[in-house]
Amino acid sequence: MMTERRGIGSRLSILQYVITVIFSILAVSFWVLQVVEHAKFEEMAENNHQRTLALRAPRGIVFDRAGKVLVENRHSYSISIVREHTKDLNRTIRLLAGVLGMDEAGVRTIVERHRREPTYRPITIVQDATLAQVSAVKARRLDFELPDVVVEEVPTRQYPETMAAHAFGYVGEVNDAQVAAGGEGLKSGDIVGQSGIEKIYNAMLMGEDGAKRVVVNSVGREIRTLEEDPPTEGKRLQLTIDYDLQKSVEDAFDATEAAGLTNAGAAVVLDPSTGDVLAFTSRPAYDPNAFAAGIDRATWASLTTDEQRPLNDRAIQGRYSPGSTFKMAVALAALEEGVITPDFHAHCGGSAVFYGRPFACWQKRGHGSIDLRHAIEQSCDVYFYTVANMVGIDRINKWATALGLGMLSGIDLPNEVQGLVPSTEWKMRTRHEKWYAGETISVGIGQGQVSVTPVSMAVYMATLANGGTRVTPHLLKAVDDGTGWKPVPAPKPQSTVDIDPEKLQAIRDGLWMVVNSAGTGNRAKIAGKDVSGKTGSAQVISNAGRLAARTNKDLRDNGWFVFFAPRDKPTMAGVVFLEHGIHGPNAARVAHHILDTFFAKQDGRPLPPPPTKESLQFDFSDALAKKQRPPADTTDR
Amino acid sequence: MFERRLYYHIDWALVMAVVALCTLGVLMIYSTTFDPTRGTSRMYVTQLYAIVIGMGALVFMLSIDYRTFTDKSHLIYIGVCALLLYVMFFGMVQMGARRWIPLRVFNLQPSEFAKIAVALVLAKFYGENRGTPSWTDLAIGGVLTAVPLLLIAKEPDLGTAVTLMPVFLAVAYLAGMRMRILGLMFLCLLLAAPVAWKFALKDYQKSRVSTFLDPSQDAKGAGYQQIQARITVGSGGLSGKGFRQGTQGQLRFLPVAHNDFIFSVLAEEQGFAGVLVALGLYLFVILRALEAARLAKDRLGSYLVLGVLASFTFQVVYNITMSAGLAPVKGLTLPLMSYGGSSMIATLAGFGLILNVRMRRFTN
Repeated sequence: MMTERRGIGSRLSILQYVITVIFSILAVSFWVLQVVEHAKFEEMAENNHQRTLALRAPRGIVFDRAGKVLVENRHSYSISIVREHTKDLNRTIRLLAGVLGMDEAGVRTIVERHRREPTYRPITIVQDATLAQVSAVKARRLDFELPDVVVEEVPTRQYPETMAAHAFGYVGEVNDAQVAAGGEGLKSGDIVGQSGIEKIYNAMLMGEDGAKRVVVNSVGREIRTLEEDPPTEGKRLQLTIDYDLQKSVEDAFDATEAAGLTNAGAAVVLDPSTGDVLAFTSRPAYDPNAFAAGIDRATWASLTTDEQRPLNDRAIQGRYSPGSTFKMAVALAALEEGVITPDFHAHCGGSAVFYGRPFACWQKRGHGSIDLRHAIEQSCDVYFYTVANMVGIDRINKWATALGLGMLSGIDLPNEVQGLVPSTEWKMRTRHEKWYAGETISVGIGQGQVSVTPVSMAVYMATLANGGTRVTPHLLKAVDDGTGWKPVPAPKPQSTVDIDPEKLQAIRDGLWMVVNSAGTGNRAKIAGKDVSGKTGSAQVISNAGRLAARTNKDLRDNGWFVFFAPRDKPTMAGVVFLEHGIHGPNAARVAHHILDTFFAKQDGRPLPPPPTKESLQFDFSDALAKKQRPPADTTDR
Repeated sequence: MFERRLYYHIDWALVMAVVALCTLGVLMIYSTTFDPTRGTSRMYVTQLYAIVIGMGALVFMLSIDYRTFTDKSHLIYIGVCALLLYVMFFGMVQMGARRWIPLRVFNLQPSEFAKIAVALVLAKFYGENRGTPSWTDLAIGGVLTAVPLLLIAKEPDLGTAVTLMPVFLAVAYLAGMRMRILGLMFLCLLLAAPVAWKFALKDYQKSRVSTFLDPSQDAKGAGYQQIQARITVGSGGLSGKGFRQGTQGQLRFLPVAHNDFIFSVLAEEQGFAGVLVALGLYLFVILRALEAARLAKDRLGSYLVLGVLASFTFQVVYNITMSAGLAPVKGLTLPLMSYGGSSMIATLAGFGLILNVRMRRFTN
């Protein structure tokens, strides 16, 4: 009995030791977890239940010069997957694709593309979701079927009217290169301006995203907000654009397209005293709204492969021969350099020979003996061949440059392209050849090497209108950072040049006669407003080349109309350019509606109704078209 | 039957420690089941009822001489096995297992009472045999344990079933089973493991084991609870996040926080300090009970105490290890603290027996 009891006693003692050791090990384990590794687990617990959600800042609203909204924001919904709490991603993708009515493979591709991003970052599956999609997802979320899918309300850019697309530009998700370039603290997923003023003034328009720290439970549902840092809306911008004038430009171009003349071209209207851009258009245009919530592949492809290149801003990136509209630059050079006086007469017999080669005037009958004013009015080519030959290329270059031709205008839009007015120095530098005097002759009528952008033509007319100040065209008028509007001073002129007013007046007289007398621009006449302007019909290809061409390409001439008004105290200057518009007078017809609207608004008259394809009465006659061979691929009858 | 002087021999220290652990449990249940959006949950009230009933059971088990219970142990054993059979065919199904007999107030879980029945019957069996148990004795004891064990495992409730094994092992050990045989049994268990893996375990059980070895392989599935348990405990720190301030338990990152993972919640909200207090209380309870086994006036008493204590200790150690994410997740509750009526009543009844043995150490 006693030995037995002792046996039990020792066995119990062993148990006591074992239990004590086990509990000591447990205590040490807890000490390691709770004290030694506490920091690590505390952080994991924080990450477990706290989320920082970005609150997107709306971009600044853009107004016209009178305060009318041009660009604003609307609310849209994006639907995203947050993988952090996803238990079965395939199931979520399958379910979500079904709920959204999307292709499962498509959803999978999107998720795959973002696979390597941190799991707490939402992967956006649908931007700008329809209300049906939003409510379908929300219903499933309430059932805990899709706890890892979030619906976010995001401000999205909206352009209420499709106008001035190239001036406004468009927005899009920041690309990797832009993030890498840094600056402005851009981060992946930000929406930034990719073109137009959206791009140029992106830093002002963008605003600052806010953030919200929330507590979520184990299925990712938000329980409460810990703190909220509201987003700061982007600065509001006021543009120099005049909505009504801009609208008139768009309407006129719409009618031009409807009439079947052309869908391509550009127009810029400036205030010649300040450089305020009152209207700005490039055609064909795109719909900036298509980019606002992420452009779809098909739309993007159609924009980039379109031969008409709608993304191209013809007003600042298109380079074209100015044709007869260049003649004022030649005239001013001759007058200012003292080569001629306004009374200088030349004889036009329909053509003239220079350096052993005949040069034709557009008027085969000839203009007879003609002075400067009438040479401008009649656009006599022989007169300007003669004068250009007398002045020489370098002096033409000097004065054309002073008027802004062949120069950058300095407009506040991205990627402006420089035109070209040739000079002996230019030819030597680029071609390593000397300039032949014979080359100057075609330059005299704006052909040959000369190329200009529409915006530089607007500057050219503004400079002629204000008497020599090459104003810098600009779109930004005032900024409101939330503390009230602060006007933005007009940028300094690019250059100024002294022009003898009497000599300038001779040119202005000629321009006035173009519109108001027997000239080619009388379609642009506005009673009592002394519109002064000049048409130009510039060849896309030489006449001989055009006759020989076997192509479907549009080889019809480009049409120009440049103008300012009124003649003596101009308050506006501008350009209308019709790509393949056949004649300058057709451009003058378009300009008429713009001028009419401008003065109607100025005088407080009711604005003219939008033109129709009939009311513009375009001239489709094309002297060369009849002689042109049928394109190669049309079948013989 | 109940002599007045016995009152003075009640181990009040053990009673106080048990009551302290029950109180801690109620507080933690209150903390984890409190939902501000729905008002206070009634779960802690249910637990209080269970404690009151359990205390009644304790007093009942205390007041009758334990030898009376062991004398009737075969009846108790047969009764419990009958209940287990009943459950098997008519029990209530909940969460994929048929474990409960629905009663008016709460659901009775007979498997909890099987532990006491087995302890009683084994104490009686080995208490009557003198000397080192023979192979036959071991085999009979093994069969007596295996019958309810298999019935419970079939429910299925492998967790509770497994807690019967320590009862047999502890009693046989104390009865003088040779250490060699003990070693042999462990060897058999080790060899049986792959066979069990192949044939006996269900898929969810396999995944629990495999993810225990590498929780990150399935961080959202079976490994999730283990990782979350570790985060819960680790984030508690030295002094804890405060009562009802634990984010892990409150925000449901931890499943069944009021039940299997109640100790994790304690660790999160009361920190290492709270853990030390609870561990200390449990250790005190166990050592104090072992003391009762030592003081028992006969071998029967010692065996009975150890039999009751074995499943209790096994469950406490396993659950706390699991709460820290250091053992595979298994549906094993923490006796005295976890939410659950049957478990509470059975456990307190068991402590009634332990107190009983100690109290009657001088009687004949």
